[in-house]
Amino acid sequence: MKLKANKGDPFDALGNSHRREIVELLAHRPRSVQEIADRLPISRPAVSRHLSVLNRAGLVSDEHVGARRMYRLEEQGAEAARRYLEHVWGNVGVRFKLFAENTTAPRRRS
Amino acid sequence: MIEPLRISFVVRCSPDHAFDTWTGRASSWWPPEHTVSHERGASIVFEPRPGGRIFERTPAGTEIEWGQIVDWDRPRRLRYLWHIATDPKHATDVEIVFREMPDASTRVEIEHGGWDRLGEIGQSWRDANHAGWDGVLPSYKEDAELRS
Repeated sequence: MKLKANKGDPFDALGNSHRREIVELLAHRPRSVQEIADRLPISRPAVSRHLSVLNRAGLVSDEHVGARRMYRLEEQGAEAARRYLEHVWGNVGVRFKLFAENTTAPRRRS
Repeated sequence: MIEPLRISFVVRCSPDHAFDTWTGRASSWWPPEHTVSHERGASIVFEPRPGGRIFERTPAGTEIEWGQIVDWDRPRRLRYLWHIATDPKHATDVEIVFREMPDASTRVEIEHGGWDRLGEIGQSWRDANHAGWDGVLPSYKEDAELRS
């Protein structure tokens, strides 16, 4: 199970702690850039840049509500979470296999 | 309904050994970045009975619960509730079948389900994030241009 670091790949987008925090904030409800910036130790322009990476990866979308632009988590977020867990299990499986096979004599086809 | 994750692979050893390695020697192979404490030398314990706890014990002796054994059918089948790094009420279901192959190797079939119990999407997101993002993707380094 390999992970590719494509541009726009959700895993790539989530390989950054600030972006993960943004995703967590948006999991509660849609928010504006300013609302996100208020809760993170980073600047408003930095939040905008992170949002654009998350947007390219299909994780968040934006819409105008009155004069404000609000960001929300995309539906396929659950799917991305699932893919993440697939990666975790793949990683677990590989290590388990290596260890199990190297702590006993491999059996040969008779 | 959110489909369970299904992963399977073959290990060149007996089901006995595969089962014992999974449950009894996780400290040796479990990816250290997937522990809660991220501490070196943490041990991982599967108490070998239904109702038994699955937990991590840090070198300082702190025990952090990861789940609970539901079914302990050595060497064929193992089922447990899994709530590593999240609230036990958001536990998901892990079932691992160790299937003996004709060539005496073992097919390990993992099914991880129960996602619907998490409710809204945001919940599964958070759980996934809490499951160990920080250490799990070391290749995904901070993107210099986006660093604030």
